[in-house]
Amino acid sequence: MVPTIDRRQFLGGLLGGATALGLAACGAPALTLPERAATGTARAGATMRIARPAASAAETLDPASSLSAYEYLGALYNRVVKLDREGETVPDLATEWSSNADATTWDFALRPGVRFHDGRELTARDVRYTFQHILDPETASPQAGPLELVEEIEAVDTTTVRFRLGTPNAEFPSLLTAYQCYVIPEDSAGEIGRTGIGTGPFVLESYTPAGAGVVRANEDYFDGRATLDRIEFYSIQDTSARVNALLARQVDLLSQTNLDNPTARVVANSPGTTVARVENAQWYTIPMLYTSEEFADPVMRQAMKLAYDPRAVLSTALQGTGTPGWDNPVPPQLKAWLDEEREHDPEKAKALLKSIGREDFSTRIYTSAYEPNFTAIATAFASQVKEAGIRLQITNTAADSYYTQIWMAEPLMVSYWFTGRPIDQLLNQIFRSGSSYNESAWSNEEFDKLLDAARADTNDDSRLQKYQDAQRLIIEDSADLTPVFGDRLVGLSEEVVNYDEYGFEFDYLALGLKEG
Amino acid sequence: MARLIASRLATGLITLFLAAFFVFFAVQALPGDVAEQLLGQNATPEAVETLRQQLGLDSNVWARFVEWLGNAVTGDFGESLVSGESVSATIWTAFSHTLLIAIPAMVVGVALSLLLGVWAAARRGTRTDSTVSVLALVAMSIPEFVVATILVLLLAILVPVFPAVVLAGPDATFAELVPAAVLPAVTLVISMAAYIIRAMRSSTIDGLTTEYATTAALKGVPRRSVLWRHVAPTALLPVLPVISINVAWLLGGVVVVESVFNYPGLGKLMIDSVSTRDLPVLQAIAVLSALVYVAANLVADLLALAVDPRQRTMHQPRARRRVKEATR
Repeated sequence: MVPTIDRRQFLGGLLGGATALGLAACGAPALTLPERAATGTARAGATMRIARPAASAAETLDPASSLSAYEYLGALYNRVVKLDREGETVPDLATEWSSNADATTWDFALRPGVRFHDGRELTARDVRYTFQHILDPETASPQAGPLELVEEIEAVDTTTVRFRLGTPNAEFPSLLTAYQCYVIPEDSAGEIGRTGIGTGPFVLESYTPAGAGVVRANEDYFDGRATLDRIEFYSIQDTSARVNALLARQVDLLSQTNLDNPTARVVANSPGTTVARVENAQWYTIPMLYTSEEFADPVMRQAMKLAYDPRAVLSTALQGTGTPGWDNPVPPQLKAWLDEEREHDPEKAKALLKSIGREDFSTRIYTSAYEPNFTAIATAFASQVKEAGIRLQITNTAADSYYTQIWMAEPLMVSYWFTGRPIDQLLNQIFRSGSSYNESAWSNEEFDKLLDAARADTNDDSRLQKYQDAQRLIIEDSADLTPVFGDRLVGLSEEVVNYDEYGFEFDYLALGLKEG
Repeated sequence: MARLIASRLATGLITLFLAAFFVFFAVQALPGDVAEQLLGQNATPEAVETLRQQLGLDSNVWARFVEWLGNAVTGDFGESLVSGESVSATIWTAFSHTLLIAIPAMVVGVALSLLLGVWAAARRGTRTDSTVSVLALVAMSIPEFVVATILVLLLAILVPVFPAVVLAGPDATFAELVPAAVLPAVTLVISMAAYIIRAMRSSTIDGLTTEYATTAALKGVPRRSVLWRHVAPTALLPVLPVISINVAWLLGGVVVVESVFNYPGLGKLMIDSVSTRDLPVLQAIAVLSALVYVAANLVADLLALAVDPRQRTMHQPRARRRVKEATR
């Protein structure tokens, strides 16, 4: 494969470069952006226009699907429980929940009197149906794996759902916060992909896969009526076209778009538009394939970690918009985060490489335009590890086949995830041996046992301790590097108020347009 | 004459067949397949295998080619692997949207560049000539996506006269598309015109130095008439192939321009189909592009025949012999 420069990316660099030069000439500092979007009173009767990248023409409103039209889900549906900023599980459709002593049976009490958009009342049967649908192999839901431990779901009475688990799990409710777990009405799997009937703050008006769609406020929403009257969703595939639409005031908000730094400058400095941050929303990783000849040796992996300073990667690749990762995959905003910095010692890394006879280690690091910061991170990382004598050749590949051809196939690459997974799901889904999302193919028996022990532990303090021990083990032995957590830079109109997003949570209820 | 046209048609058909052949097998060689793309990153190998069987991706590639070609001849390109809709219907919608920007761009672009080319040639060596030539050279050197971006910056963002992108998607109505078609069409005119201007200019300059032009001028035919009645029609002849290539490029899906404007035409459909590995759609677009290409060249050839009577006899074997005898 030959390194290529995407033409559009090149242009972005040119324009960005020109802007950066202009700023430098005025003595402007590095990128400074507002921490949060504006808040305030919103005007009544407003319509917001949101541009989104569509997954494909096969996308669907079925939340369980891997091709769900993500932006619609939070507007149309509710889950049993959701996540707060600290990663704690809080009520949504369920008001309270409890388990038996060994955490194998969980009861959820549903809010009474909630109605679906078609007027039917929500009952425990709908919740049971939703999870049966997710667990159905036909659905091929990404959340089916994490929920595999569910053996039986029972509608005890109209507002009580009982989950019986095959193995004890004290963190079970957190598994129901995933965005595939939105509740749909009983027997609706056949048509839910088009009808979008949920209990959420908005009702579907129209929807075209990979095209435009409209939702309007649900007047009978149990948590109060939404501020906006309508939201129009538009699908714009090309990132620069999406930014142009914002700059030309054709849309008010770009969803699922992490602006690169040059573009963020343009948007922040244009009249009428601004940039908001979603703190540490992007979790960047550099998986070293555990099954590869290069990285099977734990000493090799340790040397790779010791060799670089994540603070340097943060300041050069992301211009400081984020937090250094120190190879701990748990984002700092989660309560379970282990606040420890591993050492950074290129000399020690050099010595380790020498001890295993690899002082001239050289390999390729793969990157692509799939995400705007990949190449910057690869470059920053490669220049950091050079100090320890590691030479990495940056290899740029096609974005559309990056996750089918390079991911989990090449020994070293740049990858990323959205943060916002609860601690148990994060560690089990991405680091447990054999998990389908385990991108470094790392396998450590001690680690798996630790996770099992944590799940079975119903004491909150000692369970937290176990999750932190698991983080320590990842830092010491795992095949995944976590150089940085990046803030997502979201382009939006200056008219937008009360925009709030963290993890996979998006506040559709308060979102509005400025008065006047 | 009829034999000549028949042979041109036959060549065109063979070209089309070869294009279809290469397109089909090139598409097979793309890394990754639709099954992987449809199921996403976390697909199990079993699920991918099952879907592959359902889609018939595991059967013999030659058999699939013959079957596909047989259906394609009747205008049936199958169903999209992604949306499940008829490929022909999807493609006609997209193609009609592309025509909405391509035809105005073509008409305006060709007329404008022929005029500018003749005008520059007539004022050869003056400031007008050098201005036109330099501008054409600049337009030639700037890629169309830069032209598009500059136009968006000027006419959609700084002075919001036209929309920057099409929001409505493939279901957009004619009324929604017309204002949004202006900037893409202008981009195409700018990108296309430069080549035709330069070709027309040099061809006209050659024409002005010929003996018949000099004779006409000496006979007292007004300068304007010499230029437009005697020189320009003949000068058009070598420019026709240049025009046909540009027209074919234009109609065959202006991929980059449509992508920048989120314009729901053939080019954007092609990009989307590549990224989702929607092979039937991709193949149909490629064949349609080839068809347009062949047709544009054919029309250019026939137009050349109509404009220049010499070409009609040139292709006859006996006539060629006679020329040889004459030179002996």
